[in-house]
Amino acid sequence: MSVQTEFEHSKQGALSHRPHGKKKRKRPTLLQEIKKNKAAYLFLMPKLLFFTVFMLIPILWSFVLSFQEFGVFETTWVGFKNYVDVFESPLFRTSLWNTFLYTVVTVPAFVITALIIATMIHPLGKLSQSFFRSAFYLPTVTSMVIIAMVWRWMYNYRFGLFNYVLGWFGIESIDWLNQTATALPALMIMSILIPPGAGIIIYLAAMNNISPTLYEAAKIDGASPFQRWWRITVPLIKPTTLYLVILSTIGSFQVFTQIIMMTGGGPGNATETIVHVIYKTAFRDFNFGLASAQSVILFFIIMIFAIFQYRWFRTEN
Amino acid sequence: MKQKRGMLLTLVFVFIMSLFLGACSGDSEPADGEPSNDVADGDAWEDWSGTITVWDGPRWADEEDNKYHWLEEKKEEFEAMYSGVEVEIVQTPWAEMGDNLNVAIAGHAWPDIAPVDISGGAVSINHIEQGVIEPMDDFYTEEELNDFYPNALEAYMHDGQLYGVPNSISVHAMLLNLDIFEEKGVTPPENGQWTYDEFVEKMKQLTDGDVYGFSTYLLPGYYEAWPFLLMDGGYPLSDDFTEYTFDSPEAISGLQKFIDLKFEHEVAPTEMGGPNVGEVWQAWASEEQRSIAVQPWATWAIVSAQGEEWKTNFMVAEYPTGDTGEPITIGGVGGWVMFMQEDNHKRRMVAEFLKHISNTEEQFTMAQHYGIFPALQSTAEMEPFADNPEMARAQALSEQAVMLPRHPEWARIDEAIQKELQLAANGEKEPAEALQDARQEVERIIGE
Repeated sequence: MSVQTEFEHSKQGALSHRPHGKKKRKRPTLLQEIKKNKAAYLFLMPKLLFFTVFMLIPILWSFVLSFQEFGVFETTWVGFKNYVDVFESPLFRTSLWNTFLYTVVTVPAFVITALIIATMIHPLGKLSQSFFRSAFYLPTVTSMVIIAMVWRWMYNYRFGLFNYVLGWFGIESIDWLNQTATALPALMIMSILIPPGAGIIIYLAAMNNISPTLYEAAKIDGASPFQRWWRITVPLIKPTTLYLVILSTIGSFQVFTQIIMMTGGGPGNATETIVHVIYKTAFRDFNFGLASAQSVILFFIIMIFAIFQYRWFRTEN
Repeated sequence: MKQKRGMLLTLVFVFIMSLFLGACSGDSEPADGEPSNDVADGDAWEDWSGTITVWDGPRWADEEDNKYHWLEEKKEEFEAMYSGVEVEIVQTPWAEMGDNLNVAIAGHAWPDIAPVDISGGAVSINHIEQGVIEPMDDFYTEEELNDFYPNALEAYMHDGQLYGVPNSISVHAMLLNLDIFEEKGVTPPENGQWTYDEFVEKMKQLTDGDVYGFSTYLLPGYYEAWPFLLMDGGYPLSDDFTEYTFDSPEAISGLQKFIDLKFEHEVAPTEMGGPNVGEVWQAWASEEQRSIAVQPWATWAIVSAQGEEWKTNFMVAEYPTGDTGEPITIGGVGGWVMFMQEDNHKRRMVAEFLKHISNTEEQFTMAQHYGIFPALQSTAEMEPFADNPEMARAQALSEQAVMLPRHPEWARIDEAIQKELQLAANGEKEPAEALQDARQEVERIIGE
């Protein structure tokens, strides 16, 4: 039986069973499933082991740790004390607000920029597409540490590129990273202006999967290029947009390298972010219990955002 | 349902296994989790065989640019003395030392020896109280202990016991770029001493549109600016560390004098008080970017400014004096600590290695090549800076050194204060407001 016929057969079978709903086929147990697909699970095993040891267990462990006061030789169960401490900490509240602002500004900017650039590249020929795809993706290979160093120079009060350009228009220099009013926006600008290479690649792949007949039909119906983009491209790549929004939201909530490299969370606490606070709590203050509580809170915040985004985009669909 | 139960059981099994494996893996932890302080008797310890793990950061380079050559030589000497002993050196960049040590301590996988400034945050008094650090008193005779400068020894004392071997003393000093002084026709202060008013006057003479007299940075863990804050008699905490005192009139007046350099006297650039250590250094030392005449630095910068890369024509001066009439600088003590040991014989052997790398001769070598002041009086008597007048002048400043409070939560207190200092330095808060605003957070930390 060919794959196609097998698929058709199972589809018909499923359809024929659905209206009656009397005989429910017994689902195989996990063990039966593993026995049946031994080879596949064997190949999956190394990755699953790594995932369990280095991801799942630490996550579960940090959840347990968040209810404890961590000591070198003994840990004490403190219940929700760490969570209370987290919410009572003005520093954590500030960092939460800063991270939220950073996310709200940079995520839409990232997704929209990627969409616009991908839209501009999409109509080009294969060779040109490949060139621009590489051109926009290459910078993302550069370490954030290096990027942050370059941007620190660009924000330099006296020698920086930004103040040099402002000087052309007779605008007074700005001490970008040392003023509370400009430090966080400066970091946002940096994140926005770094080309969203990964986003462009993913969007291009999604756009290339849209059937050209749809565009041809719309063209015959007299749709303008913008209408074709707005009515066909944007709705059809919505799952990709959802994926990118969720991914970049997670990334934004975890912003760290830029902070540690460029401002250290200052001036004052103007650029403190959640992960930077977690890092200091764990590795400077040796308070792994409190840091775990902060991490768990971050986990839930990201999860809530992801669920919200998922539901919002899904409803729209 | 069965499928879910199966998955759950698998996860629980993996979790329990990892807990079990994790508990079995630590080889430094004794069975009862309590450190033993017994010292090996007799000479049996000399027969101990095994590995001593030492973490160290890069120091001065040899001809092959190897910055760990000094410790490697010590390792070879020691291994030749004790045939069963192997010394393992773990090269750890200084910037990563604190975090790595904290992770190692959390995982009970600490080294035997590491270079630690107890006041610096990587290893704190909390760790001493939890028994992670071995006391060293029993390995030193009274005569040996008397050879240390008392303030160096004091830095490693807790509850009357010594927890580490002081190896170096460092202070902060003002470095004057003499080329800029010459260009502007300004005479440096006589004997490197000046009052605040004299200092301001000279900074004004040095400042024009392109060059500024003074600059420095402000960020947690760095104290270059702090002698200004203390110059009128201010101090961050009360003597018993139970009260925040940095909003006293003396402290506010000191901070005001520091801030005035930028806004009132305009002898410091807009960037003064920012967090950029590297850029501030370049503005003083780099020939292409030279635009600051005077900067305060820790003593390592003296050796750096004498090296080939930054070769600078400079002199060392004291911080200007304030209302107290006495010059003040911030001092620090560096040294080695031994981490908790199970085996008495190994403990004794590790102590022996510690003494081997921190004795009079080694501190002399460090002083000459690494730009630090010895913690041993016998080393100082050897005059390691006989050919280096700038280091000798900086060493004289150590008599003016004020130590930072040794509060177990100093790193957090320091951050709360420094963040407010940043706001004062960029003009967003008045000095009094900034120091008063730090009170709430500092009191919260002290009260925990």
